[in-house]
Amino acid sequence: MRSKYALRFIALGYLALLLGIPVVLVFVNAFQDGIGAAWDAVTTPEAQHAFYLTLVMVAVAVPLNTIFGVVAALVIVRQRFRGRALLNAAIDLPFAVSPVVVGLSLVLVYGTRDGWVGSWFAEQGIRIIFSTPGMILATMFVSLPFVVRETIPVLREIGTEQEQAAATLGAGPLQTFFRITLPAIRWGVAYGVVLTTARALGEFGAVSIVSGRLSGQTETATLFVESEFRRFNEVGAYAAAVVLALIALVTLLAMNVIKPKEAQT
Amino acid sequence: MSIVVDSVTKRFGDYTALDDVSLEVRDGSLTALLGPSGGGKSTLLRVIAGLESPDSGTVSIGGEDATMRPPQQRNVGFVFQHYAAFKHMTVAKNVAFGLTIRKRPKDEIEARVDELLRLVHLDGFAHRYPSQLSGGQRQRMALARALAVQPRVLLLDEPFGALDATVRKELRAWLRRLHDEVHVTTVFVTHDQEEAMEVAEQIVVLNHGKIEQMGSPKQLYEQPANEFVMGFIGPISELSGRSIRPHEVDILREPSGGAEEAMIDRIVHLGFEVRVELTLGDGEKTWVQTTKAQAEELELSEGEIVWLRPNAPTADEASDAPVPA
Repeated sequence: MRSKYALRFIALGYLALLLGIPVVLVFVNAFQDGIGAAWDAVTTPEAQHAFYLTLVMVAVAVPLNTIFGVVAALVIVRQRFRGRALLNAAIDLPFAVSPVVVGLSLVLVYGTRDGWVGSWFAEQGIRIIFSTPGMILATMFVSLPFVVRETIPVLREIGTEQEQAAATLGAGPLQTFFRITLPAIRWGVAYGVVLTTARALGEFGAVSIVSGRLSGQTETATLFVESEFRRFNEVGAYAAAVVLALIALVTLLAMNVIKPKEAQT
Repeated sequence: MSIVVDSVTKRFGDYTALDDVSLEVRDGSLTALLGPSGGGKSTLLRVIAGLESPDSGTVSIGGEDATMRPPQQRNVGFVFQHYAAFKHMTVAKNVAFGLTIRKRPKDEIEARVDELLRLVHLDGFAHRYPSQLSGGQRQRMALARALAVQPRVLLLDEPFGALDATVRKELRAWLRRLHDEVHVTTVFVTHDQEEAMEVAEQIVVLNHGKIEQMGSPKQLYEQPANEFVMGFIGPISELSGRSIRPHEVDILREPSGGAEEAMIDRIVHLGFEVRVELTLGDGEKTWVQTTKAQAEELELSEGEIVWLRPNAPTADEASDAPVPA
């Protein structure tokens, strides 16, 4: 009996120290000067622009990575070809490589003066690095693996019999995908979307390097939090952090609300 | 519609699943593909459905060449061993699937689904999900789903293989009756000879990717083309170095011409059937199937010496008779 409580104590204590107490303290600090001060801090033009930019990152990176993730998972699970293992390993690269390295490598490729793709775009008048497109690229890169990784196991589990049954009943490949495959894997995909969203919301390192950090122009919410912190504006930093946390929470809740009863059994 | 399979070969890497197989299934018939696992019977069924494409040979359904057609254009009904139920759809939606794909009017779909659910005794289950059904119910739903599109042929891959013995027996009889009602050309795969004998009008025995024999259950039992079919289609025992049906042996109390001497090791009472296990003069073991009445009349008991004599033509003689193969 005693060991049961000891285990529980370790698990809960660990979570409290690492997660619970720090998050609670962020909330406490955000509202140390009252709700009004916190509200003012997150409604300055710079703050509003930062949140807007973060939502743009999410709005572009999440749908694109979701489509790519499902396609990649289908290829990895259903097809046999040379280089399949390589593709499978490459998808984990964003997990393995530090975001700072990702940022630097994007500068090398897309930089306006020296980047070998970026200089071509610069001639066309399109700026990638130190601008929104580069930040979107960085966000997409770091949040790429989640949908693929969450979709592969469910795709393996459902097998191909339902799809074969649909084919014998007259469904073409697209009808089979949208009516059978996608509904069958949707909770795996949905969980991948939640993780992708959370990662895109929270990305700091890679975006920090490619953004150039121009306040009110290329500053996302996480970059805003850090620059407020550096300027000793604690309320601003913590209040913005609270808003970020709330957006992530809303995403999670939304997922649980749309989840029908049938899938919970 | 009739099905004609002509010299179909299918390899998976080095493994030959079907080796130059030709076969004809009559319109409206009920045929079993019977054989040990790995014999090629499921592959043959999948080739007919278009779920596998043959390396060589052709498949025609209702007189037209279907070899190059994808499954969705063959209009076949296919039932899988593990049901392949669409888990995210209700029973009614599952059954309606083929009709929905064909964009039939809503009231027509509803009427057809109702009719089919009654046919498979699932009326009242329309709004359940597959996870709320038993195995037998799921398989009946899969059958209704396959029948909904009025397929030209119905193909069933080990349809009762995943069910327990009682449900299996029930569904077998039920499939037989259903076929009498619906009359669609039906081919089903099984490794269970009893199931094949009970349900099918025609049995095709497949082994190592080749057809060993084709014929009615009676023909296969009484005139097996070879040792393999004989052993697969019913019990065999050995007498005078030949394979013989264990009930085609007479037990005699006195020596007689052509009878072999044997000692009774064991008598097993299985109800109406009595199984007598014996050792022959040369030390070989054999067994004879007899009835309770006969065993009592002969007053058999363990340890006694008796004489065994075949009471019917043996397989070797029988195979001289014309056998459609």
